[in-house]
Amino acid sequence: MPSPQTPLVGGTAIDPTSVRPDLDDAEIERLDPAALRSRLEELRRDGLTMLLDVGCADYPARTPRFDVVYHLLAVPPRPAGVTDVGRPRRVRLLVGVPIDNPSVPSVSDLWPSADWPEREIFDLYGIAFEGHPDLRRIQMPEDWQGYPLRRDYPLRGPAYEKTPRPAFALKTNVPAGTPPSGRVAAALQRQIAKAREEHGGR
Amino acid sequence: MSTVIERTDNTMRLSLGPQHPSTHGVLQVLVDVSGEVIERADMEIGYLHTGIEKSAENLFWTQASTVVERMDYLAPLSNALCYYLALERLLGITDRIPVRAQRIRVLMCELTRIASHCVWLGTHAIDIGAITNFWYAFDIRENILDLIEAAGGARMHPNYLRVGGVNGDLPDGFLDRLDALVAKFPGRMHDLRAILQNNPIWRDRTIDIGIISADDAVRWSLTGPVLRASGIAYDVRKAFPYSGYEDYAYDIPTRTEGDAYARFLVRLDEMDESMRIIAQVRKALEEPGAILVDDTKVVAPPKETIALSMEALIHHFKIVSEGFRVPPGDVYQAVEGPRGELGYYLVSDGNNRPYRVRTRPPSLYNLQALKHIAVGNLIADVVVMIGSLDPVFGEVDR
Repeated sequence: MPSPQTPLVGGTAIDPTSVRPDLDDAEIERLDPAALRSRLEELRRDGLTMLLDVGCADYPARTPRFDVVYHLLAVPPRPAGVTDVGRPRRVRLLVGVPIDNPSVPSVSDLWPSADWPEREIFDLYGIAFEGHPDLRRIQMPEDWQGYPLRRDYPLRGPAYEKTPRPAFALKTNVPAGTPPSGRVAAALQRQIAKAREEHGGR
Repeated sequence: MSTVIERTDNTMRLSLGPQHPSTHGVLQVLVDVSGEVIERADMEIGYLHTGIEKSAENLFWTQASTVVERMDYLAPLSNALCYYLALERLLGITDRIPVRAQRIRVLMCELTRIASHCVWLGTHAIDIGAITNFWYAFDIRENILDLIEAAGGARMHPNYLRVGGVNGDLPDGFLDRLDALVAKFPGRMHDLRAILQNNPIWRDRTIDIGIISADDAVRWSLTGPVLRASGIAYDVRKAFPYSGYEDYAYDIPTRTEGDAYARFLVRLDEMDESMRIIAQVRKALEEPGAILVDDTKVVAPPKETIALSMEALIHHFKIVSEGFRVPPGDVYQAVEGPRGELGYYLVSDGNNRPYRVRTRPPSLYNLQALKHIAVGNLIADVVVMIGSLDPVFGEVDR
């Protein structure tokens, strides 16, 4: 039997994210969407080179209503073979997004890995990422109505009638004509040369 | 199966999946090929989306672990461990987890890692056409699932972990069966390596396929064996130790080639390292001890005390019927799952249900890189590349 929907946090605009900031290893910062990209670029220059995750949380009673959460990690540098990597730095950025203008600048040009998580937040929370090359639903069907992970969306959504799938679209954020890296091309050349050699020069 | 869906003069658009047997679940890969060389690649995911994060928000804190275990269904115990570690941080009982419970958790997670790599190895090799090793790998996995069943009561999703420890001590005879596995394992690993490592067909199919440079691995947020095969030694167990991992001696296997063969070697070495940890835990498990934290606010008192103590009865009833409340706060906790950094971002608003359960799914990020690494490779190698990234679609789609 499904449990009933959790009641919304009533009246008091509670903000759990500012209650106990020292629970984990991450340094926590709060930002406005406008300051996001410059801060991320700055942090990346400081060595926080990996964007581990982009998540989101919804606080209906609070202004701004949403938090888009960026987790950054200072990946240990090469060389490999080092097993003691110390304790890398973690940073968590919380970006408040208001309900009347749910949009955040996309960072998928800085980190290509942000492509899918940003689409997922767009899909499940209805937050637009400006500048994203291919912002469409990723987990839910293309013609789904509503944003399932919002707190005011019921646990059981409406009945859904399947519609035929739209035509196949190939929209990758790796642009057309991107040459393969030198090593891939060289490896391919080696394979072809080897195959020719094995098949008597053909 | 692959069907031609569009054809122009120079390039052909092919759709692999979503029912292709080598997509390891349900994944559609769209590729533009010129001849046999891939020019662009993209993927459709979401076929297994079941709204686990939404479901978890509507269950008690302890009930939610049953659904999060179903994300990465090949490593349910790693998911449960990460969820509970995050929850224990919110509750502030991290330092009070009994040592024996931590050891059992480490044991279970390392067994899970080996079992998960066995599935990867068996299916990856079957994709390429090598059948024999599937049976060797699944034999080890079967032994491990028997152990997990003995301890937790179920093979796949035992829900064995609890807040503050584990559910029940290891049963009689468990350690003897574990010893049998530890004794058998090196021989089996030798066989697995003998079948594949120097096999000329295997080497031809995997060497120089799907190369990921260290810089690209960071840009695409890859973690786990995929990152380590590209030359970066990042392992959550070493960088942010949890559950007493700092007490065990083990290495992080790394390679620098970054191709499918390097990822294969890294995972094989990881299985050996996991067995090293298991052997050390096995020795430490001789020592008896508590397996649950001593805190009746979050752990139900033992059943036999209920008839004797009114307080025990009340605590038991409260925990079963309405769970427990967790102080407000947000926390990010990561563990090293078999596929990479598995993270949970939990938010509590002070209620008896999680306010937000966000998973950082390693498979999603690892799989996404296929868009990049497929470019310039041959269409026949897409299957090798997917296999070498080891995605689990329960976790990609959640």
